[in-house]
Order: sequence, then C-alpha cells, then structure tokens
Amino acid sequence: MAETASATHVRHGSSIGQPLTRRDGVLKVTGQARYAADNHPPGMLHAALAVSSIARGRVAALDVAAARAHPGVVEVMTPANRPPLAQDPDDKNGPFVFRMEALQDDRVRYAGQPIAVVIAETLEAATEGAALLAPRYEAEAVETGLDASDVFIPQMVGPGAPAEARHGDVEAGLAAAERRVEATYETPAQYHNAMEPHAIVAAWEGDRLTVDTPSQGLAWAQERIAGLLGLPPENIHIRSPFLGGGFGSKGVISGPQVLGILAARLVGRPVKLVLRREQMYGPVGHRGPTRQTLRLGAGEDGGLTALHHHVRTATSRFDDFLEPAASVSHTLYAAPAIATTYDAVRLDTGTPLFMRAPGEASGSIALESAIDEMALECGMDPLEFRLRNYAEVEPMSGKPFSSKALRECYAQGVARFGWAGRPLQPRQMRDENGLLVGWGLGTATFPALMFQGQARAVIRRDGTALAETGAHDMGQGAWTALAQLAADSLGLEIDQVEFRSGDSRLPDAGIAGGSSHTATAGIALHHAGADAIAKLTELAMADQRSPLFGAGNMGVVARNGRLLRRDDESRGESYADILTRAGLAEIEGRGTGAMDPAVPEHYATHSHGAVFAEVKIDPELGQIRATRLVGAFAAGRIVNPRLVRSQYYGGMIWGVSFALHEQAVMDKCSGRVMNANLGEYHVPVNADVPSLEAILVEEHDPHVNPLGIKGVGEIGITGTAGAVANAVWHATGVRVRRFPIAIEKLLV
Amino acid sequence: MSGDRKPASLAEALSLLAGAPEAPLLLAGGTDVYPARAVAEAWGRYAPRPVLDLSGLGLAGIEDRGDHHRIGAGVTWAALRDAPLPPWFDGLRQAARQVGGVQVQARGTVLGNLCNASPAADGVPPLLTLEAEVELASRRGTRRLPLGAFILGNRRTALAPDEIATAILVPKPAGETRSAFLKLGARSYLVISIAMVAGLLEIDSGRIAAARLAIGACSPVAQRLPELEAALIGARPEEAAALAAPEHLAPLSPIDDVRATAEYRRHAALVLLRRLLAGLAAPQAQGGSQAA
Ligand SMILES: Cc1cc2nc3c(=O)[nH]c(=O)nc-3n(C[C@H](O)[C@H](O)[C@H](O)COP(=O)(O)OP(=O)(O)OC[C@H]3O[C@@H](n4cnc5c(N)ncnc54)[C@H](O)[C@@H]3O)c2cc1C
Repeated sequence: MAETASATHVRHGSSIGQPLTRRDGVLKVTGQARYAADNHPPGMLHAALAVSSIARGRVAALDVAAARAHPGVVEVMTPANRPPLAQDPDDKNGPFVFRMEALQDDRVRYAGQPIAVVIAETLEAATEGAALLAPRYEAEAVETGLDASDVFIPQMVGPGAPAEARHGDVEAGLAAAERRVEATYETPAQYHNAMEPHAIVAAWEGDRLTVDTPSQGLAWAQERIAGLLGLPPENIHIRSPFLGGGFGSKGVISGPQVLGILAARLVGRPVKLVLRREQMYGPVGHRGPTRQTLRLGAGEDGGLTALHHHVRTATSRFDDFLEPAASVSHTLYAAPAIATTYDAVRLDTGTPLFMRAPGEASGSIALESAIDEMALECGMDPLEFRLRNYAEVEPMSGKPFSSKALRECYAQGVARFGWAGRPLQPRQMRDENGLLVGWGLGTATFPALMFQGQARAVIRRDGTALAETGAHDMGQGAWTALAQLAADSLGLEIDQVEFRSGDSRLPDAGIAGGSSHTATAGIALHHAGADAIAKLTELAMADQRSPLFGAGNMGVVARNGRLLRRDDESRGESYADILTRAGLAEIEGRGTGAMDPAVPEHYATHSHGAVFAEVKIDPELGQIRATRLVGAFAAGRIVNPRLVRSQYYGGMIWGVSFALHEQAVMDKCSGRVMNANLGEYHVPVNADVPSLEAILVEEHDPHVNPLGIKGVGEIGITGTAGAVANAVWHATGVRVRRFPIAIEKLLV
Repeated sequence: MSGDRKPASLAEALSLLAGAPEAPLLLAGGTDVYPARAVAEAWGRYAPRPVLDLSGLGLAGIEDRGDHHRIGAGVTWAALRDAPLPPWFDGLRQAARQVGGVQVQARGTVLGNLCNASPAADGVPPLLTLEAEVELASRRGTRRLPLGAFILGNRRTALAPDEIATAILVPKPAGETRSAFLKLGARSYLVISIAMVAGLLEIDSGRIAAARLAIGACSPVAQRLPELEAALIGARPEEAAALAAPEHLAPLSPIDDVRATAEYRRHAALVLLRRLLAGLAAPQAQGGSQAA
C-alpha cells in the first residue's frame, strides 16, 4: 500500500504528511539506542527487588544477616535503614499522584510488593542475596474478585471524571421501548507488559541526582521524585531518550523506581534496578477488571430510546483508580436518554492505572457487543443499526463534534472489507475447509485531548535550527513525527533541524498519554517555530537593507530556509543572511501547546473509526482464528501516515488480544497473579495476527487545535475488540460475554 | 553460582554427580529450568542449587543403530525437526515444529522434555507411540527403561540421584508405517497444550497390523489407548476414525484448569483422535499438523 496521506494533508514542500521512516530506526536495529538499563556509570552496583509472596498482611521477619553475608552483597535495604523521604509515599498531593510502596513500613498490600532491596556488586549476587531473605509473614485473608463484599459507589472514575452521568430519562426510555436488551459482560485484569521492563539507573552527586529511566511524563516524574526527596526539581535530571513501550505503565513514577534512587543514596554509589518480568504484575499498574451491564431500549424502527451502562470495577484497598469503562456510551450512539453509573470493590492488588485506551477499551467491547445484540433484536444489519443511531452531536452533552468523519469510515471500511451480502443470522458461512466464518463490526472512538506542553526553537546563523521539547518516544515515533512538525514550523527541511527530546532539562512536553502527545508537543513546537520566524521577520522588515523591508501587513512566508514576501516570492532572503547582517548568532522562539479552553466548551473532540473483523472457527473444537481485520479511522491531520498506520495496527492487535487472549489469572487464596510471565499471559503471537489493513480516512478538524491533529495511539483497540467478539458470535451463534472468549464456550 | 559445573565428558559428569555433596540441578537447554527458577525467585521460594550443565557432553547426535535410532541427550527440537528421518518419526517431528516457537525449539532438548515430565509435554505422546526407551547412565552402569516406566507421574521420573539420561532409543517398526501428531492450544504457538494426540499405524496389505495411540495433557502422564489400539487391528485405515469412541478414552483423567475444563478436554481429545486417524488414512492430504 502506498505510504502517503491524501493529497490535501500534504502541503507542497512540507514534512507533515510524509511517510518518513523512524529517524531512530537505525540506532535501534543496530543496538545503539541507549535504553535506561544500558547505562553503566562507573562504580555502579546492581539492586534486586525482593517482593512479597502474600497479598495482605505484614512482613514479620527477614533474614537480613544471611543476605548481607552473601558474597558480593553490599547492603540490604529494608524499612529499618531505608533513607528518609521528605514526603510520605502514601500522601496524595496532586491529581496524578498515586500511593506507592517505598519500604515505608512492614505492611503488605498486594503480592509482588517490594519488601526489601538487595544491593550487590553483580546482578547474580543481588538476586541470590534476595533469595536468602526468607521472609516470614503474618498473612490475612484476601479479596481478589469482583464479587468482593463492601461494594462502594465512587465519586470519580479514571483521572477525575464524575462517576455518574445522566441525560434524559432512561427508565422511561426503557419502558417505552419495543425492544430491549439487557446483558452483562466481563473483562479481566490486564497488565501492560511493555517489552522493556521498568529500569532505573540512579547516580547521586551531592544533592544532585541523575536518573536514567523510561518515562512517559518527564516533568511529572521530576516533580514527583523531587517532592519525595525534598529537593528542588532542577536537582533531578531524568534522561529517557527511548522507551521499549509504556502503554501507561510508565506514566507515573512507581515505587521500585524510587527504591532504586534510595538504594543509590544508601550505598553512596550509582545503582541499577531492573524489574523482572513477574515484578511487572504488581507495583506498576494494570487495567482494572470490569463487569458491565448494558440496558438498551429501541423502538420498532431501530432507533435507540435509552442506554444505561453500568460498570462494576475494582481498585486496590489503598488507593483509587477506577476504570472509566462507561465513557464510550457518552459519545457513540444517539440515544435520547443515557445513564452511566459505577460501583466498585477493593481488592488486595496493586492499584490499577491507565492502560492503553483506559475506559474506552473495556467499555467499547461491552457496548459494541450490546449494540450488536440489539441490532439482531431489531432484525437489522449491524452497520445499518449503527447508522440508524448515528450521533450527529455528542449525545450526552449535545455539543457538536469538532469534526467527525465516521460515516466515511463506515463507507470505506465496508467497501474494502466486502461487508455486503453478510447474512443477518449467525452460523451461515463456512470456508472451503468447513470452518465457520463470521463477520463483525465495531465502532472505534477515542477522545482527542491535549495536555500542556512547551517547546523552544532556535534559528542559527548558519541557517540550520534547533528544536527541543522533552517529549517521549515510546516506539510510536515521536522522534520522527515531532521533528516533522518542527521542520515545517521553521520553514526548513527536516535534515536542517536538530531535534532534541527525551530529557527533563528540556521544556516540558506534557505527558505521552491520552493519545495526545503529537498534538500537545507538536503544537508547542509549531508555536515555538512560528515565534522564532516572527522574530526573524521583524528583524528583516525593520532593516532597510533587507528585500523584506516594509513588507508590513502583506506579511512574509518562511520556506526552505528563506523568508519570502507573500505578495512577491521573488523577493526574499535567507535566515542566515538576516542573522549575519544583524550580527546575531541565533534567534530564539518559544511556544506552548494546550487545548484552548473554549474548544471543549463548544465542541466534543474525538477520533473515530470503524473496524470490520473476520474470524474462522473450528466447529468441533471452538478454536478461533482472527483472519482479517479492516479498520478505517478518521483522526484529523495525519502527521506521518507510516507511523499512524503502525499505531492502528498495534491497537488492532491489542483489540484481538482483548477479545481472544489476554487475562491475568488471580489465585483466590494467595492473591498472586498465576500467569505473571509472557509464556502464560497470552498475547497474540505472530501466527495469531490476522491480515491487517488500516485505512486513513481524510478528516479536517478546524477547531481542535491550530493543526487539526487528533490522537491515533489508542483508538485501534476500541472497535476492534468488539468487532472480533461480534464476528465470533456471527460465526457460531454463541454470544460469549466474558472476555477473553474461551474456546470451549463456543461448542453447541 | 559457585559450584556450577560444565563437564566435558559423560564420565566426568557422572563422577561429579556421584561425588556431589548436594544433588545438583541438571541443565540441558534450560527452557524448563529457567522459567521454573524465575517463578521460584519471583515468589521468594528460590533455593539456589549448584548446576551441572550437560551441554558440553557431546551427546547431540541422531544415529541409526540398525534396529533402532538413538537420539542423544543433547538433541534439540530444532535438530529433530530438521533431520531426515523415516516416516515413523513424522509425528514426533510434527510435535517438534509445535513445541514453543523457533527460539525454544533451538534451545530445548527432546530428552529434557521427557525428564521434566510435565503432563503437557508434547514429546511424550509421540514417543509413547514409538515405544521409545530412555537410556540412563551412572557410575553403577547403564540401564534402559521404557518411556512409560520412566515417567512416574506429574514431574516425577525414575531417574536416580546419581543418574543422567543419555539417550532416547527408538526401535524400528516393521513394514509400512504412518505417524502423526495433533496439538490443540489457545493460540497458534508458544502455548501449553490443552490436549494433544499422537498415533502410529503399521499397515500390512491395506489393513492395520498394529496401532499405537497416545493422548497427552488429559492425565498426569500421557496415556496409550490399548482398547482402541486392539480394536483397530485388521481394520482398513479409512475405517479407523469411525471406530474411535468415547469409551476408548477411559485411561484419561482430565482436570479443570485455567486452560480448559475436563469435559472440554475429553471432547477435544476424541475430536483430535478421529482427525488424526482420518489423516493417517489419507496421509498425502495431510497439510498442516495443527489441530485446525
Ligand atoms: C516459551 C516456552 C514455550 C514452551 N512450549 C512448549 C511446548 O509447546 N510443548 C512442550 O512440551 N514444552 C514446551 N516448553 C517446555 C520446554 O521447552 C520443553 O520441555 C523442552 O523440551 C525442555 O528441554 P530443555 O533441554 O530446555 O530442558 P531443561 O530445562 O534443561 O531441563 C528440563 C528438566 O529435565 C532435566 N534434564 C534435562 N536433561 C536431562 C538429562 N539429560 N538427564 C536428566 N535430567 C535432565 C532437568 O534437570 C530439568 O528438570 C516451553 C518452554 C518455554 C520457555
């Protein structure tokens, strides 16, 4: 497939819209990209985390002497000798601050919680030392499932949305409905499982600290670490040029990372601490489990009369993060009455956290399944039913969408997939080998958000430029897409721009989360470049020796390292000439990226998409193969179609995983995740990944931000998971409402 | 750790083993040893033990010894998968292609799979149908045990503390043979079997002269199906699938676990068995070896 965006996305001579390959690609494939754990400052020691094997209670004893006596072990850090912190790690002193376990006491709150750190000359000695600690526990009974007692009604869900939302009279809508669907769906706890484990290399120099650690939010991390240590933020230098995936789990600093810093403090030498794979199933967050009850009413004509989306979810016993699974129901379908409600239980697990498409992923598979069930109830094709209930304005708020090319997504997806002729009834199609074939559809949606970000741009006398912002490349391609945006803002070829990123000393780029990073950091860069160009323009226009002198209101354009008169492009001069004549070495611009508060006041801002799935199922065994996925997505301006397509593919594979593979299996007695490894925590292997196609549907958003950029990082999961689930039903006639779908449930 | 050893010959390995104050952990490809250790380390149950690494012993050959084949302790799944072997090995080689993924096949040994004695070990059913023996060596001498007598239960074998398993011995069947293996898992690769079935038929004048069938992951140790094997003798291969009936699965004792229920396992085992027999009746039509 040609790697180009539609012509209107690509301005002549611009970098935006070009399918550039990753600029850090060669570094990565040749092993030269330096990830956090690749750092080895002189004198560095290795730390191994000892974690709790019980899920609730206290540590009664640790054989510290045995560990310390092990050859190579330098020190053992426990609550008894852990250097003091300026803040209690259990203090909640900000909106995105989570309680963490940093050896503040002997309590155990979940299995896998850090209980000691062994610091040694080698990783082997540290690991063996940790094994000698032989902890004794006083264990208490644990709660692990959604049926736990003590159900409560939360005030807030997700990062701070109200837990209850209502529009219209749902009960009246249901009562008046000619058709009703009520169904309950369950989704399990899932773990991010980035390929790169959380790693930290911490080195102190007096009261200055250098930290190499993967971060999706450098400024937050810096502030959190500084707060805990009681140091000014500028004393904390964090480097995070590359992440081997994050998916939310590296959005906030976790307890183990703080312990790496404290270990280095304790021994007075640099320390490296890398989480083991199993240790990523506790202290670094997960997607909370849900049980969602959908109640839908519809009229004879297939128009929805009411939609109630109730979510039971779970958080930890000591902190709150509630999976905001019902938020999809606010935006997708035009029901005149909508209610979303929550209740929750507390479990003896680590605190859940945002995980790629938090809320939307879990909510979408339930909503899209329920919508399909209602379409059947109404005897309508699933697409026809969705179009019948197409939301022209955001149903919950009544606001217009800043842009919404979902109809085009449906149309292009349908054509490409070949949906026409799909039988309404299930179990009607077979392939040449006798496998059952099913086709399913899901609507994708994810909010277009922005955080706050800053950037700096400098045009240099040699005609090149520097652009910088402390952005985060998680593999998604920030090094490339942001450099494209910077180059265009400066009117330069991308190779003329030195782009710096991934460091806390650079301007805060905002968090790489909420599918907002390209928009936030990109708009900041866009403004910084524009600011530098504006200053350069002023300089030229005020100079009688410049061909731009007096260009005045006619203005100038920046292109190819030159400023040109807009009214006469033959008159212009190079940046280098302007700066040289002015006797300046460089000129600096600064910019901010943030959502204009007026935008969310007047518009609903979302990306949309339509995903079509084909599955094949062995009629005798229930074995499922997803064979074909076509997703058509509209997400505003596409900065780099190659990278965007790769985000969609990744998201769609996550969607398949959500429907068919992924779940953490909790032991009810011990409270441990029993499959805390990549052998048994199933995600699709290559052979499970179907033929994938992602269509980039053109969409212009004149409102969301000056460049019309929305997000693409998370939307691919939404829609897909439900499309696969619906295809499984269509193949078999069996509606499985517990995910991932167990093959044995498909036998009839 | 200190105390780890990598002997260069079997004799050296056996004397190290005989003289060891603390029973060392025998290490072949490590694809069972290391994950097990990781779990133990993760939950603070790791008791470090000196390792005796067998990879230097030079036992990595597959040899034709006239009336049998000898598969040395160092033979990996990848080596077996890629070796030119007679048709009775087809089933075992289909298993080789489905153990883990290529990385695991490159490291993991066939004999390590037997010594690990997991109920879901993919090597056991095909080797049961091959009537393989395991050769065990110690300073006391060498002995051979039929595979069925070597594996005693879930992760239990007849290996004595001073012994090393040195080879798998596979006798040559008589006449025309066909063999196959089918595995069912929840994803395409890198998956612990829900059930797997191996079968070997000896065919004489268009009739089944001998049948050996085994099912794994449905009992603590994979089981042969003697009644069905007897019932198939004299039948034409194309009749075989229809002869398989639920009562032939009596030797199985499947359990409910995270991968599947006992009931589903019983059902799936029979489906796989019939498919396997149908496939053996028309060997040329057999494309992939996966269950579906
Ligand atoms: C990701 C992954 C996927 C896997 N998938 C599968 C699968 O699909 N099917 C399957 O059956 N297995 C699977 N396994 C398990 C494993 O790969 C196999 O059992 C493999 O054959 C073990 O061989 P090894 O050489 O690695 O054994 P090791 O791990 O070295 O040893 C295994 C056990 O046997 C003992 N042992 C090894 N050699 C000898 C010997 N010569 N004498 C005495 N004792 C010995 C060891 O002490 C240990 O107890 C998988 C493993 C992983 C990590």
